[in-house]
Parts: sequence; C-alpha cells; structure tokens
Amino acid sequence: MAKEKPSINTVNFTAAQLMEFDACTRCGECVKYCPTYDARDKNQDIEPRDKIQKWKDFMNKSYGLKARILGPEKIPHEEIKKFTDDLYNCTTCGMCGTVCPAGINTIELWESTRANLVKYGTGPYGKQSLFPKLIEEGHNPYLKQQKDRLAWMTPDIKIAEKSDIAYFIGCTAGYNQQVLGVSTARILNKLNVPFMALGEEEWCCGSALIRTGQQHINETPKKAAIHNVEALKARGAKRVIFACAGCFRAAKIDWPRAYGKALPFEAIHMSQFLAEQLDAGKIKWEKSLNKTVTYHDPCHLGRHVGVFEEPRKVLNSMPGIKLVEMKRNRKEQRCCGAGGGVKAGIPDLALGVATGRMKDAQETGAEALISTCPFCRRNLIDGRDELKLDMSVDDLVVLTAHLMGLSTDVKPPAPGAPKESISDLFRTQTIPPKPPAPPAEPKKEEPKAAAPATPAPAANKK
Amino acid sequence: MSDGLPIFGKVVFDTLFIDWRIMAITAIISIILFIVGMYIQLDKWGRGIPEGATKPYGAFGALSMIISSIFSKGIGHALEVLVLDVLFQRRTYRRRKLEWLMHILIFWGWIGLLVLTMIAAAAEFAGPFLFNQDYTYFVGAWKALELPNEIFGWMLVLGIVIAIARRLFSTGKDVQARNADIDWILIIGLLLVVITGFYAQSVRGDVARNLIEAYPPGLFNNFTVMFHEVFTLLFCVAYLPFSKYFHMITAPLTILVNHGGE
Repeated sequence: MAKEKPSINTVNFTAAQLMEFDACTRCGECVKYCPTYDARDKNQDIEPRDKIQKWKDFMNKSYGLKARILGPEKIPHEEIKKFTDDLYNCTTCGMCGTVCPAGINTIELWESTRANLVKYGTGPYGKQSLFPKLIEEGHNPYLKQQKDRLAWMTPDIKIAEKSDIAYFIGCTAGYNQQVLGVSTARILNKLNVPFMALGEEEWCCGSALIRTGQQHINETPKKAAIHNVEALKARGAKRVIFACAGCFRAAKIDWPRAYGKALPFEAIHMSQFLAEQLDAGKIKWEKSLNKTVTYHDPCHLGRHVGVFEEPRKVLNSMPGIKLVEMKRNRKEQRCCGAGGGVKAGIPDLALGVATGRMKDAQETGAEALISTCPFCRRNLIDGRDELKLDMSVDDLVVLTAHLMGLSTDVKPPAPGAPKESISDLFRTQTIPPKPPAPPAEPKKEEPKAAAPATPAPAANKK
Repeated sequence: MSDGLPIFGKVVFDTLFIDWRIMAITAIISIILFIVGMYIQLDKWGRGIPEGATKPYGAFGALSMIISSIFSKGIGHALEVLVLDVLFQRRTYRRRKLEWLMHILIFWGWIGLLVLTMIAAAAEFAGPFLFNQDYTYFVGAWKALELPNEIFGWMLVLGIVIAIARRLFSTGKDVQARNADIDWILIIGLLLVVITGFYAQSVRGDVARNLIEAYPPGLFNNFTVMFHEVFTLLFCVAYLPFSKYFHMITAPLTILVNHGGE
C-alpha cells in the first residue's frame, strides 16, 4: 500500500531553520514580551513558542520517526489554516528572537514559514493578498500613480538631477505622509546637502511582500530591489538616505540578498545622517521647544538593524526638549503594531498593540511621542486617538525641521486627506473635511471589484 | 559474575561493579539508537528547500550547512560564542538569573560527572595496560575521584531541585504554566538517574572504604546499581534525540549557527 503524502512540505526553509524548531526549550521568555499575545488577551495559540511547537509537531507527524515507519500522519487542512491565521497574528517585530535563550532567529523563521504557507495556499491573511498585484503593477501598495511620486514637493524644495547623495522617499512619505517628505527635503536643503530623488523611477522597496511571505510571487520584491539599486547606481548615488525605517530595513537586509552582492552605495537612515551632521557642527537650532518627549524605537530601525542611539543623540541636542525613556526601550521596546502586514491584514490587532505602546508612553508623562518610521507614526496616532490621549505623535524629521527654523507645512491638504499627511506636533494646517457623498443612486447589481476603490487604509504596507 | 574483561591478554576491571557485557550491550544499543535518532533529525532538517533551491540538501548536506554556518564568521568568533553563549549561557544569564543558575548547575554537574566517568574508565585501562597493576589501581583512582564526584553530583541535584521548585511554585503564572505538562517526564527521569546514581555511588564507596580483598566485590550486579547504569544510558543517550532534551543539542547548535543570536 502506498504511503500517504505528508500534509505539509518544507519549501522555503533552510536546514538551520528546521533545526530551530527543535531548539525551542519552551522556557516562555518570548511570551512575556510578545506584543500581539498581550493585545489578544494572552491567547496562547499566537504565542511564539506555541507556534514553534505547532510547526514542530507538524514536521514530526510528517517526517519524524513514526512517520518514517508508519507513514505520515494526516494533518487536517483546518488545522493548518488555523495555524496560518495564528502565524499572521504577528508583527514580525523580532522581540521573541531578541529574548530567546536559544538564539532562534524568529524574524526569518516567521517569514519563511509564511512563504511556505502562501505556497501551500493558506496564507497570507486578508487584504495582504492585494499586495502582490498592487506592487507588481503599480510599484506601490496604495494604488497611486508613479508620476505623483514627487507630488508632495513645494516650490521652495530643491532636488538635484544628479548627486552622490540620494533621498529614497518611500511610498508612505511620498503619497500619504507628505510632512515627512517636505521636512526631510527642507532639512537637506538647509544643510546645503545636494541630493537627488528617483521620482517616477522609484519603486516600492518590497518590504510588505517579504514580511508577509509573498516575495516569491512574480519575484516582485527582487525585481524592485534590483531596479531601485540599478537606478540609484545609474544616477551616481554613493549614499542613500532613508527616512522610512521599513524601506531602510529592506535596503540594509533584503536588497543585498536580492541583488546578490553588496549594494554599490551606503544605505543610511535620516536619524544617522542627522547625528553625523550634529557631530560636524552643521546643525544650528534656531528654535526651542519646551516639551518632554519619549522616543519609540521602530522595530525595523532598532532591533532589525541596530540603530538605537543616533535618534536619541539628536533629541538630546534639541533646545528645550527633555527626553524620557519608556520602560521598554531600545532592544526591548514594544512594537507599535503596524508591522508584518498586520496594519493592512488585521487592523484591530494593530490598534490593540498600538494602544499598548501608547500606554507605555503615557506612563512616562511625556507630552509627545517621537519616532523615526512613518508606519509607527500612523499606527501610534491611531492608538493615541483610540485612547483619546492628549499626546502628540510625530517623526524626528518633523521636529528637527521645526527646530531648525523650517516650515513643516505641506501643500494645502486635499479635503479628507489622511490625518497623518500633516504634522501632528505642529498643527499649522488643517485638513478640510471630506465633502458629503452625492445622494446614492438606486441600487444596481454590479460585480464586485477585485481591489478596493479606496485602497489607502487597507494598503498600509509595513 | 565476572573476573574482569580480557583485552589483548590483560584483564580490565571496572568501577561500575556490574557485568561488563550488560554495559557493553546497553551502550552499543544506546549509541546506535542515538545515531539513528540524530540521522532522522538531520534528515528531517535536510528536507528544507530554501528559496532558490530546487531540491532538499539531505541529512549530510544539512550537517555540512550547519557546520559551515557556524564557522562563517571565523573560528575565533565561533569559539567566543561557544564559550560565552553555550558553555556559560550568556543569553540566559542576561534575563533569568535563577534559570541560568539552574541550567549551569545541571549542565556543569552533568559535564563534570561525564568527565569523571571518562577518567575512571581511562583508569580501568591504565591500571593493567600502563602500570601492570590489578584492580587495586582503579579502586584507588575511584577513591581519588570520590570528592569531585560528590560535588558535581550535588550540583546536579541542586539544579534539579530548582527546576522542580520553579515548576511547583510558578504554575500560577501564565508563562510557566504550560511547561508543566511537557517536561515532567524528563525531570522525573533525571531525578531517577540522580537518586539511583547517589545510591550506586554510596554502595561503591562502601566497597572502596572497606578495603576490597578480592575482585569482584560482594555488591557485584546489585540491581539498583545496574538499573542506574542501564537506565542512564537509555534515558540520557538513546532517548535524547527523541525527547524534549534534544534541545541540549539543538539549542547550542542554533546559538552557534546564529553566531550568538540577535
């Protein structure tokens, strides 16, 4: 009698990763720090060690001693689907890996497992499945036009055609958080740092696809990485500045893998660049702001890449600013909740984690929370609003621009523009309300669209 | 009863005071099962097909990848990780001091007993082969090792006591609660090894202290002593690749492969 085939397969895993499933000691250290486990009322199915145990069980049922002797044990499809859903209830923040006594590289492990399950057919989760089509066809996850990549530019901003310094703007700052684009560009202009931007040539960094295990679909992230690297190289970039932690992480870790070798330029985060300029005595503060602020380390800038001190250095140098730390900071910070495709796929979970982080910030007594990632900014603003806290949430570049005497105003926002498109800390602009919708026409039976008509809330790509 | 094991014309006596054939058979079975278990695990890991690969690397491919990953940052770095993160468990020390103490006591107690057992075994052969002496040589060596054996044994006991106490008194906390149903069998197994081990050590000590006049001594093939040796081999060697204690091998390997972890 022919033996039954295993219910799962081992694609997308390295041998070392499959070993890692057997390395978990079930000590539970990861559980103490997992932000989604906390936000889901301590649901044990989504704790990291349980997910490891579950896949380990699947592996042993399929390829263990008993399976070798008696044949693989069938794993019901529903059980694999349930595991998949639990696996996607994770922001891939990497806190579990940081505290794991066995040193399991959980970020890579979750991403490989997700890719395996996408190929199997049970992943990704919800609206995350829109990413491949959106990014492959439009080169951004927001259904925006490439020609509008630099639509945020104001007449005072100068961008060079060619320069050895480039600013990789990213889809979120470019399309949804214009305040980050204008602040970064004005800072660079004020520092007399000529920089160029790819504009229409800039493609999505691919992070959303990699984090959700969809990198193999048309190899979109690989193509995007190679395209961006070659475009930057062709324009003579030697240093590329990223103000988005998600894009920066992709450039530092994911792009070299896709490119197959070291990048032909240095990737640097804006906070690192500002710290450098500070050391060189080039930043002159022209304003003071008497505020107590706390700093949220984005997972993609901190734990994933190791940039912790530069943003603090900049904050500590600002006149009037008093930096207070949250209990969980640096390597042990709590995730904002937006990462790993959670903002797009499981918005209620993203909000739950964000409120947890905003409570951390509230405990410090800070008047403002500063971060260095547009996704953290957006999600933490949502968390703040949910808790109705009297606390501003903004980005380091916005605060820096203001204290350097620069305007943080964007082009007059369109009615109903996203709340994160303007500064939250310096409310010099308001977003006009969305005009009322025209009276509804009599209902007609129409086929459902493949993609949502208003993609922005769904396609928050971290 | 045995008069010792004849090897190349010499008679080798043993410090275990049990029939060497039982030990030899149990040891061979245990080692075979251990190797089979390791092969099954390696074969399982070798089924991984990373992005870009077209077929699995197999058991030996997995082994080769694991070894090359360990040394990919150089031998010096691998040694540093081995000493600080594997032997002294730096990652655990940073966060969980009591658990670190427990692990260190169990780990080093276990390693100490293993090393002393190897020294005792070497003495069994050194007597007849190097110094042309009878059983009194290994009994002397055994007596010399008695104190360090006690120390490492008590380290192990203390570690296990902490492990049990943690599980008994921490069960109300969400983190530890689910550990309880997983590793009791292993804690109890280890406890059995230690209790019978102390008993075996005690009766052997009596023999040594009471001036043996002839080999084999009266306690030869004492049931508890034999159970201790056979059970230890089966539980700690043969069962290892199939049990939760497999993390004793995979966790250090993972730390080494990931260069000390994040």
